[in-house]
Amino acid sequence: MINKIAFVFFTALILQSCSSVKEYEKEKINDPDMKLSARTAERYETSFQVYREAAAGANGGKSGGGCGCN
Amino acid sequence: MKIKILSFFILLTTAAFAQDKEPVFKKRVLESTEVDFLTSYYDQNGSRSAVSGGIGSEKLTDVASNIVVAMPLNDDDVLTIDLGISAYSSASSSNINPFNSTGASAGGGGDDDDRVAGGKVVALGPSGTPWQASSGASRSDQLVSVVANYSHSSDSRNFIWNTDVSFSNEYDYTSVGFGGGIAGLFNEKNTELSLKVNAYLDQWRPIYPTELHEYSKYGSNFLNQGYFNGVTVLDQNGQSTANYLPSAFQTINAVNRNSFSASIGFSQVLSKKLQVSVFFDVLQQQGLLSSPYHRIYFADKANFYIGQAQYINNYESTSNAGVYKLADDIERLPDSRFKLPIGARLNYYINEHFLLRTYYRFYSDNWNIQSHTATVELPVKLSDKFTVFPMYRYYTQIASKYYAPYETHLSTEKFYTSDADLATFDANQYGFGINYTDIFTASKVWKFGLKNIDFRFNHYERSDNLKANIATIGFKFVMQ
Repeated sequence: MINKIAFVFFTALILQSCSSVKEYEKEKINDPDMKLSARTAERYETSFQVYREAAAGANGGKSGGGCGCN
Repeated sequence: MKIKILSFFILLTTAAFAQDKEPVFKKRVLESTEVDFLTSYYDQNGSRSAVSGGIGSEKLTDVASNIVVAMPLNDDDVLTIDLGISAYSSASSSNINPFNSTGASAGGGGDDDDRVAGGKVVALGPSGTPWQASSGASRSDQLVSVVANYSHSSDSRNFIWNTDVSFSNEYDYTSVGFGGGIAGLFNEKNTELSLKVNAYLDQWRPIYPTELHEYSKYGSNFLNQGYFNGVTVLDQNGQSTANYLPSAFQTINAVNRNSFSASIGFSQVLSKKLQVSVFFDVLQQQGLLSSPYHRIYFADKANFYIGQAQYINNYESTSNAGVYKLADDIERLPDSRFKLPIGARLNYYINEHFLLRTYYRFYSDNWNIQSHTATVELPVKLSDKFTVFPMYRYYTQIASKYYAPYETHLSTEKFYTSDADLATFDANQYGFGINYTDIFTASKVWKFGLKNIDFRFNHYERSDNLKANIATIGFKFVMQ
């Protein structure tokens, strides 16, 4: 399992050499809707999902602890 | 292998830090204080309450609010304080004590006001049902929380470290957490690597189902003392009995729950319109991982009730308006759980009007739970200020090896739960959001200009008939 994850991780790392977008070319990438994270107002949905589902984590937020939830 | 990955990661982030020697123009990380006001309303209903051993009402409403203040301390440092409060009322948790105080004997006065009808005892004393909320004290609760986060960015803005502390409290649960993280940007800020670690040192103050609490307090003669004094216990035939003895139940001594997590993130700009990120988390939890108020009914044990005998035969139906089954035990789960989620986001700027936001996660743990989550969102830019975004989320999970439905566990098992949140199911969530942004902050309240309003609504449906709705609104103000 750890080998597969490492493979994905380093493959993704290698991808960086494929592209180099200059700062002045990032108008679209810097659009607020392009952020690679959950929206601020999404936090309550994430919270109820952590209670109602067994899975958590890998979304940039908490993956467990801090509540009497699953 | 793990050590090699970690060493490589530290090397890369250190390299990013080393780049700070270059003299660069330094823009403030945060220009001025920002304040977010967030509030949400959530309601749900279902028929598999864990408090009632896997059947019963799951009706619940929750109102939550947060104020998040982000303050620039200087050009490089930002302090963020997040204060939150949430209040809920729940039919399920009200049934920790399901017995409504009606009838003379409800007060424990010892009056025998039960009568016999058709050969069965009709209790006029306390009664309850898993299908309705009781007047129990646990029908509502409040959660308060505070998180403080301090972050520092290097002069080149290519290296960021942060640290946080958190505290939260509700009636039967307290949590203290702390953590920190580092992030490095490379390749003209097209690549980001981050590492985050957190620890939560939590503590339960266990509350038990009323009948088990009384058993633990008074021992094997508990039916003649305390709450049960003068209360009629019924058997499966509706006859009065003194045979109820939940001998499997023992109170919990170890009440701590500790959670330790590490998260590695990688994000990459792939083109002028496309970027991707991958998150890999590991989480180890130790301690009391079950909920002390979740009832268990064993298939190989006799059934006992409090309430009105005529409802016993249709106990599992919503037409049961007046009888409640007494627990054999509370759920028991291992004191260790190892979680392994891996997730990815891919966002694509289609054109000036449409964007695509996607997310996928695979999750597995050593309780044999596996799940997949997929989310897609399509922001549509209606104007410079308004964006609407329809969204859809699909979730599916395979049950924990410790889960079995209502009254199917055997008393010979070591671990057991009838919590439907750990069962096999899938869920669909769909909704929409509206975003208003005014970068010039024309609308003002005192010294603050309104920068952003975010509204979102989602409907959630699980394959076991649990349904929920959630609406959230958020306002972002910027100090002028």
